[in-house]
Amino acid sequence: MPSPLSSPPILPGRRPLSRRRLLAGLGSAAVGLTLVSCGRESTRKINFYNWDTYIGRTTLADFQADSGIRVVPSYFATNDELFAKLKAGNPGYDVIVPSNEFVTRMNTADMLMPLDMSAIPNFANIAPEFQQADYDTTPRHSVPYTWLVLGIGYRKSKVDGVPDSWKWLYDSDRYAGRIALLTEAADLIRIGAKYLGKSLNDVDAETTAQVAAMLTRQKPYIKTFHEDNGQELLLAGDIDLVLEYNGDIAQAMTDDSDIDFVVPKEGSLLNADTLAIPNGAPEPELAHQFINFLLDARVGKGIAETILYPTPNAAAKALMPASYRDNPVIFPTGPGMENSQWGRYEGPERQRLFEDAITRMRAA
Amino acid sequence: MPSRHPRAREIGPFLAILGPPAAWFLLFFVAPMAVVWAYSFGSNVGAAGIEITGTFLNYARTLEPVYLGILAKSFGIAAIATLACLLLGFPVALAISFAPARLRTLLLVAIMLPFWTNLLIRTYALMAVLRDQGLVNQAVEAVAPGLAPLPLLHNNFAVILGLVYVHLPFMVLPIYAALDRLDRSLLEASLDLGASHLDTIFRILVPLARPGILAGLLLTFIPALGSYLTPDLLGGPDSQMIANIIERQFKRANDWPFGAALAFVLVYLTLFVLAAQGLLRRRGEAE
Amino acid sequence: MSDRAEVGLLDYSRRLPVRLVLLVVLLFLYLPLAVLVLFSFNDSRRTTVWKGFTTEWYARLAGNAELILALANSLTIALVTTLIALLIGTLAAIGLWRFRFPGNGLVGSAFSLPIVVPEICMGVAFLIFFARVLRWPQGLGWPLDLGPIIIAHVAFCFPFVTVVVRARLASFNRDLEEAARDLGASPWRALFDVVLPHLKPSLVAGALLAFTLSLDDFVITFFTAGPDTVTFPVKVYSMVRFSVTPEVNAISTLLLLITVALTLVALRVQAVAGDLQPRPTA
Repeated sequence: MPSPLSSPPILPGRRPLSRRRLLAGLGSAAVGLTLVSCGRESTRKINFYNWDTYIGRTTLADFQADSGIRVVPSYFATNDELFAKLKAGNPGYDVIVPSNEFVTRMNTADMLMPLDMSAIPNFANIAPEFQQADYDTTPRHSVPYTWLVLGIGYRKSKVDGVPDSWKWLYDSDRYAGRIALLTEAADLIRIGAKYLGKSLNDVDAETTAQVAAMLTRQKPYIKTFHEDNGQELLLAGDIDLVLEYNGDIAQAMTDDSDIDFVVPKEGSLLNADTLAIPNGAPEPELAHQFINFLLDARVGKGIAETILYPTPNAAAKALMPASYRDNPVIFPTGPGMENSQWGRYEGPERQRLFEDAITRMRAA
Repeated sequence: MPSRHPRAREIGPFLAILGPPAAWFLLFFVAPMAVVWAYSFGSNVGAAGIEITGTFLNYARTLEPVYLGILAKSFGIAAIATLACLLLGFPVALAISFAPARLRTLLLVAIMLPFWTNLLIRTYALMAVLRDQGLVNQAVEAVAPGLAPLPLLHNNFAVILGLVYVHLPFMVLPIYAALDRLDRSLLEASLDLGASHLDTIFRILVPLARPGILAGLLLTFIPALGSYLTPDLLGGPDSQMIANIIERQFKRANDWPFGAALAFVLVYLTLFVLAAQGLLRRRGEAE
Repeated sequence: MSDRAEVGLLDYSRRLPVRLVLLVVLLFLYLPLAVLVLFSFNDSRRTTVWKGFTTEWYARLAGNAELILALANSLTIALVTTLIALLIGTLAAIGLWRFRFPGNGLVGSAFSLPIVVPEICMGVAFLIFFARVLRWPQGLGWPLDLGPIIIAHVAFCFPFVTVVVRARLASFNRDLEEAARDLGASPWRALFDVVLPHLKPSLVAGALLAFTLSLDDFVITFFTAGPDTVTFPVKVYSMVRFSVTPEVNAISTLLLLITVALTLVALRVQAVAGDLQPRPTA
């Protein structure tokens, strides 16, 4: 993946395709294929279930060079897929990357292994405000990997000033037909609750109905509900405002400087993606070793450079250039952030309440 | 009238022919589905457990107006898409089956080729064609600036277009397979007797191709009904189809029993339609 | 075939209305495909906005062993699935057509069930099945670790083959088969020499359908894939969150090119074989 913040920039097109590079590439592919098929028995390996491209460019190779352990990645696209895949039993994953609410959910179902923190000394690199995790129990079952906040991604030239309120997405026809929201029911309802001035936890049935009614009224002005690819719609010019994560918009901004991001003043939802070991992992010790590696400062820097997501790793953040540390999209500040809260998983009943309300809203 | 042969001689071939499919079907379809069918009578226990309590609550929930409405809408959209596939697919199948041999292979591959690219990127490419700044609208902008941008994406029109795009070969292939090397003498006779081409096609060709057409309708309508990626990406705020709802139950809502109930309602309905069709066919054959 | 001045009565493929529809359909099918190929040269990490021309992605693809392996896995699965599904599906179709037994209609409808069930439902069913009922041994090398995926794919693909072959059988004159048997052929000879040749177009159609269904399947593959198996659709779908890079377009373009090349080769072989045989009188 290109990393615009490192030097020299490796954006496509800068280096012409040379025969040597092509042959080298083919050669490495051939070697890679051979290693994959032959090296199975000899090297130790762990199975890593992660989001796609949610790791540094050379992280896995570096780990193998460092420790001799091969990391075999597989991918899921949403937390739900991760949960559904593990629900019937762990098919053999060693390290997984659930979000904070799913850590809570998986803990209630006893799906995660308690971590041996003595095997993860690099945990000290994590910033103090992220070390304490309300979503996890004691002993810990997860360590934070990235954090994210929802907000409004928008196209500066098409929007008046800074749209720093949820009103522009939820309760106004100002940008009719140029708005996109997330499909996620829980996110939609809880952000709506924030807009109404309430906490986004313990949202009761009455507030849910209020938000659903508001969205039903707003529906004619909403162009579409996107599946976490809102930044693509924004870039393509289909819409001018989108409910999206700051990291996604930060990545989009490297492609188009007319894009910006704001956390609305009413406050927003904070999330964290974490590293955890599911029960039944074939190689728990190697898994601990891998997690410790990922929390190392330099490794964290490499990851942050690639994915441009906010990192809870203070040591890694210190190694990053100012363009990352002071980036107002990656590390937002202001009243919006002060009013933001961590979301809690509150049980299947609450989830079903949200889902039902949104299904009805969509069908109305 | 097909004669009946004594059964005893045929047990060997009968088992050898129907045995493997039946075994695969029972072991690798019925068995897994039986578990999920049992779930449709179950309820959730905690965050990951399911207990089979024999309750009909899940099925009762599927009868709520909101779900019936979505089901009806899905049927409608799938039906329109299927009809469009038939109108486009029948001439294509006709062209292929009456083409000379070498051209036939080329045309078959030409029809199938797009479908060997991944559905997601194909849908993205379709979006690139349909969106406000997409190919079609850029062309419209150049020719008739007042009309642009045409709302071709994020609505039911796009969903139907997308469904036709995805399911066209499922209509073309069965019709082609049924039409291929049809007894031409019947058609020639009809033309010799003075009937027009259209008449010949509708009165002679279509009835002869009927099994192929029915197969095409079945293989197009049902998967179209069950598609969820196309309405997800191409649809507007109210373009949710029944498969989206079912998918949500198995994923975010984590309500596998309800998802199972919804899925099986779909199965029961389609079985009913198939059974009715089978009865009609049997009656038609008897006459 | 020379282009005669007068179009034959039944040369529907040469008649204008039919040709027009064919053209429209091919245009409709290939326009997005052209866009797909175009974006494989996009000078950007995304495939939504055109930024300029580059062949960078093809170079990256050469070094992306994972994506190539994923495609290789999917192709293998599709090929094996097609072979098995074709066999089982055709057997089912022939069996239902050939033998009159009580419950014939019921069994026929039952075999169509996998077409009806929503994929996510089947995916979950297979997940539970391979997790609790039939645990597939782990650590098997390639290609045995693709077993659960292939089994699941065959289960949902073979009914499509059955439906297509049955439609073809409906037009087959039963008396021909009986005549062969009356003349002394065993039931097997009768099947092979009389019925099967008639079925050829439906076998081709069924195989193409099964291959397509299997190659592009995401849901069922997702739920049956093991922890260290990457298949192409699953990999591509997982890219949605961040961005589906033009590398995916590049590998799809290459796949298309390979398929076209293979088809042309097959046509060549067919033509040469045809030239070597005595031409039958029309």
